[in-house]
Amino acid sequence: MSRERDKSQSWDWESRQCRAQLDEIFFRQHDYIQTGSAEHREFWTFFERFQRFTAKRDMSGSKSSRQESHEKKANKKSGSVDLGLPKDYDARYRINVSVCSKDVEERLGRSDHKKRRETSGPGRQEITDCRIALLHFLDFNQKQSFSKLAKLRKEQKSLPIFQYRDKIVELVRTHPVVVVAGDTGCGKSTQVPQYLMTSGFNYIACTQPRRIACISLAKRVSFESLNQFGSKVGYQIRFETSRTTATKLLFLTEGLLLRQIQQDASLGQYQVLIVDEVHERHLHCDFLLGVLRSLLPLRPDLRLVLMSATINIKLFSNYFNGAPVLQVPGRLFPIQVFYQPIPPEEQGSRSEKLDPRPYLRVLQGIDQRYLPEERGDLLLFLSGVAEISTIQDACQTYATHTQRWIVLPLHSTLSLAQQDKVFDIAPPGVRKCIISTNIAETSVTIDGVRFVVDSGKVKEMSFDPKAKMQRLQEFWISRASSEQRKGRAGRTGPGICYRLYSESDYDAFAPYPVPEIHRVALDSLVLQMKSMGVGDPRSFVFIDPPPASSIQTAVTYLREQGALDEHGELTPIGRLLAQLPVDVVIGKMLVLGSVFKLVEPVLTVAAALSVQSPFLRSAQHNPDCSTARQPLQSNQGDPFTLLNTFNAWVQVKKDRGSGSRKWCRRRGLEEQRLYEMVNLRRQFKELLRTHSLLEDDSGSRTGPQDRAQRRERRTERQKLHKLKRDHDFQENTKRKVLRLEEGLEGDGSSGSDEERTASNKRKKDEQTVDIQEVKFKLRHNVNELQEAANASADLSSRQQSLLKLVLCRGLYPQLATPDEHNATRKDSEQVFHTRNKQGVVIHPTSVFASDPEVLQVSEQESSADKGQSNRHQLLAFVTLLETNKPYVSNCVRVPALQALLLVANSVDTNADCTRVVVDGWLELGLTDGDMALKVLSSAITLRGEWERLLQAQLGQGGPGSRGGLVGPKPSRRDLDKLCEGLVRFLLYTEVSYSLRRLTGLQSQNLYIGPQQNTDLSSSSALGFLFPGMKTEPDPIKGGLRVSHFFTYNCLCDSMDLYSECLRTFWSCPHCDLYMPLTPLERMQHEATCRPEEEQQPEEDSESAQTSASSSSGLTRVYHCDLCNKDLTLTSTEILKHKRQHLS
Amino acid sequence: MDLNEGSALGVFRCKLCELSSPYTFYGQKPPNTRAIVLLEECYGMKDPFSPDREKFLVLGSKCSLCSKTVCVGPDCSLFYTKRFCLPCVRDNIHQFPEQIQAELVKKKTIQKTSS
Ligand SMILES: [Zn+2]
Ligand SMILES: [Zn+2]
Repeated sequence: MSRERDKSQSWDWESRQCRAQLDEIFFRQHDYIQTGSAEHREFWTFFERFQRFTAKRDMSGSKSSRQESHEKKANKKSGSVDLGLPKDYDARYRINVSVCSKDVEERLGRSDHKKRRETSGPGRQEITDCRIALLHFLDFNQKQSFSKLAKLRKEQKSLPIFQYRDKIVELVRTHPVVVVAGDTGCGKSTQVPQYLMTSGFNYIACTQPRRIACISLAKRVSFESLNQFGSKVGYQIRFETSRTTATKLLFLTEGLLLRQIQQDASLGQYQVLIVDEVHERHLHCDFLLGVLRSLLPLRPDLRLVLMSATINIKLFSNYFNGAPVLQVPGRLFPIQVFYQPIPPEEQGSRSEKLDPRPYLRVLQGIDQRYLPEERGDLLLFLSGVAEISTIQDACQTYATHTQRWIVLPLHSTLSLAQQDKVFDIAPPGVRKCIISTNIAETSVTIDGVRFVVDSGKVKEMSFDPKAKMQRLQEFWISRASSEQRKGRAGRTGPGICYRLYSESDYDAFAPYPVPEIHRVALDSLVLQMKSMGVGDPRSFVFIDPPPASSIQTAVTYLREQGALDEHGELTPIGRLLAQLPVDVVIGKMLVLGSVFKLVEPVLTVAAALSVQSPFLRSAQHNPDCSTARQPLQSNQGDPFTLLNTFNAWVQVKKDRGSGSRKWCRRRGLEEQRLYEMVNLRRQFKELLRTHSLLEDDSGSRTGPQDRAQRRERRTERQKLHKLKRDHDFQENTKRKVLRLEEGLEGDGSSGSDEERTASNKRKKDEQTVDIQEVKFKLRHNVNELQEAANASADLSSRQQSLLKLVLCRGLYPQLATPDEHNATRKDSEQVFHTRNKQGVVIHPTSVFASDPEVLQVSEQESSADKGQSNRHQLLAFVTLLETNKPYVSNCVRVPALQALLLVANSVDTNADCTRVVVDGWLELGLTDGDMALKVLSSAITLRGEWERLLQAQLGQGGPGSRGGLVGPKPSRRDLDKLCEGLVRFLLYTEVSYSLRRLTGLQSQNLYIGPQQNTDLSSSSALGFLFPGMKTEPDPIKGGLRVSHFFTYNCLCDSMDLYSECLRTFWSCPHCDLYMPLTPLERMQHEATCRPEEEQQPEEDSESAQTSASSSSGLTRVYHCDLCNKDLTLTSTEILKHKRQHLS
Repeated sequence: MDLNEGSALGVFRCKLCELSSPYTFYGQKPPNTRAIVLLEECYGMKDPFSPDREKFLVLGSKCSLCSKTVCVGPDCSLFYTKRFCLPCVRDNIHQFPEQIQAELVKKKTIQKTSS
């Protein structure tokens, strides 16, 4: 004892050096625990605790140990078999681990020698103390891990589905298709894949309707299957995968599995497919089931498991030939239901705001009936965002008064941080009141809910094929949804559900929600079906077939978009569009953009238009945010604002890394959306590259001078990978406790609150890694991105107009024209019309809602000459959605005449081309016939050339192409010339015209119709003059069909009778033709007659025949050999110029 | 490359509580642990809750008296210089030191009140 005390004077456990000496003995580089590791730090913390504990025990312990040894002697006499247990109890005997100490002893010997000279080394006692502490530490860790394992196994066993484990495996072994039906909480999603995995099935795919579920399930199941740090269980979603060759179980989205089938029709990579949540009846899921149904006969070894809530199970079983159904009871606590229909005086009319009184009564009732100490939160289901905000305001007032509630909204347009708050915990005595859309019905599961209030309403998207418009309408929910909502109250204990409708209402509800396939536009589905070659969409055996008219609408639409040809087969562009996981219109933009040198901006715009807007609605009324956003806005249109925002963000990312978070917060931007954009953008780029629509630029980056750079990047990546791993490891962080005033704070909203949260957040930011930033850096090279951003920032006005044209052609026929009386209306009352829907308004988030003047023709100008102007503009828009009003959003403005002539599917004229009707609804009136002819002629030529180059760019390798030969890539020179021509046409067409919509009656009596006109013979007689262009009488409209989009002289009021009289003498500037010609003949000749110097010698006769001339715009570059100069002239001017040399 | 695809030798199953898990080693020497030695023949695996591939977890072993395979969970067995399943401990309770006896009594009452 005294020796020990001596030592402790020279030995200091707190000292770093002393500890380091012991580290040398126990925690060397190859030891179980290594110096510097997290565990090593934990050990020393443990050591301190352990020392305090033993010291305390030593002080009081001597007595008990004496007693014990005394008792032991007594035991020995009575025991029958001697177990040979030590006489004196020592906690060390309870540890089954030892640390092999031979080399430690050697060191000890040495250090004993040393000790005579240096008194500071660890003595025998210190080493023993340290070793014992280490043994206890190891034992402690073992116990901790084992108890985790035991807890996990216990939880698994307690799930209702556990009883059916063997049954499920048996059924799957013996049947190709099995339906597992179980209610919320039965554990099917996490357990069934594991059961199959542990019973020897490999290569299991489990689909989910939602991306977020793929990630969380993969995380949970890998944890439960003790593979948290491996990749046996993985996920794959649009931009992210954790899949490796070792992955045996993969969670993926339905859409992604469909894409995989597109690549490999037999799905040879999987042995088992589990389709989860089939009862939700998403479009992709219904289609997937159909595809799998026809796949089964080809893959008799494949096992298919459908998992569903206990809804309409027969439907699924019958669809798969009477597949066996295993029904598992859920684990719900009893829930009391109260029907509290809203009294008529509180129902209000449709246009009025929702009356909050019925909702407030529920809150009051809860406060009266239940003690605040009895925990349990409230979940309130409303139909939409506006309703949520109304009720939220009222509840907040009540909450501020009572101090017993924290009111939190929940819907998908909130920032993710705001959404995340619903999972935080309310302080004692306070309840959360979560006001949600149906997002909380299935997608988001919140524990601790005891009370549910169900309004019985839902807003659902439907598609109106007549108006070509999406519609968000309020409906009564189905009984299935109603039960689902109720069930949310009984997840963690007995609950209560208040239904704000009567029991008879409930009985009148539809049994199930309307499946998506019956509600939405089927364009993308039909396109995908075509590309997967599953046969005629009309005869495909869906579980619940959509109306034939929906499919027909989609086929027609795709034909209009040029994705399908007249036989309903995929065109080259359609084939490509089917590969792109985006709307057809956005896919078209990408393809068109790649033809011009506009890839970078188009990639960004296409990505931006495919994700939710990064601009948070809640920040719109915050003056600070608006000011900060100002420089990002473009009055060219919303896509340009998005483009500016993205480019600015990339710049910030490059300069300040994770400082971009703050930058976004200042501007009321949801950074997550920008991350999604950058990921999507990259995916688009890769797709374009694989389809050779984009030159591979990797060659430019592999100089030897880059080697150091690459090495640097590699080490950086390693570091980032480690950060990501560490982050994944600690991710199950604890929920924080909400503050009472939480509900009062908007998202990034006004002044002082913002400051406060910002400073709180800043503290947190410094500690935690910005995992999004880490992932961003892993996935993207910020320098490259910044180059791309630079390429699309500061577009010249020429590039800008070309980009607008690309967007417009992509978005066509989604065009809107301003109402003629807009100039006299207030900003907020501007009205627009589309072809199929009159009286649409611009969504308040659009730049044109705040700045509508840029769309108007200045007043003096228009009034001067009956609306004649060259400034008419149209809006091309991405979405038309009717909520309380029909709104267009994501709009871009384009010059009307030029855009229409370049993109419209149908352009009809009268005889002198002064009256042009586009797509049967917009009429352009030009006074100058000569000018009209010139403009039309240029447009036809430009379009012909554009089409030719586009087809060439798309490879022309498809079965539809002549001879199946891959045509030559369009030359840079041709493309540049086309760009030049288009830009000139867009920017410098100086022609005044009127723009108006036709009335219904006018559009009905538009065409003269087919006529046995003598004039037709004259046109065929003229055929020899125009070898390239075949004009045919149009069998429906009448007049002459000059190209697939242009019909001449078919309009009813045309001066048809006099068309022969319109012949005037005309000399062709290119050849020596001099003849009396009609406008049409002139145009045809112009389109086919090329000046000699522009003939390309390498061009074969075939393409020369089929292609239209690239030459004539209004002006073009003419190289005069005699002056040896490049001149930009119109055809007539060239002719004049030539004559000048002759004379 | 995967961190813990160590091939399982079989499935460990506790005879008392039925806890089961694949095991990847059996014996006194967990793989790659240098100075560590176990004082009994154990069924073990890589610690699934540690990112470190060298960390191991002992699942259980055989009772030194009745040779039943039991897990290391405190409701099934205890280690006191050797492994004993709890039934065997109860049979020989008087040979165990007072601390263990007291623990066992406590455990019994907890089980009774909870069930
Ligand atoms: Zn056990
Ligand atoms: Zn035993």
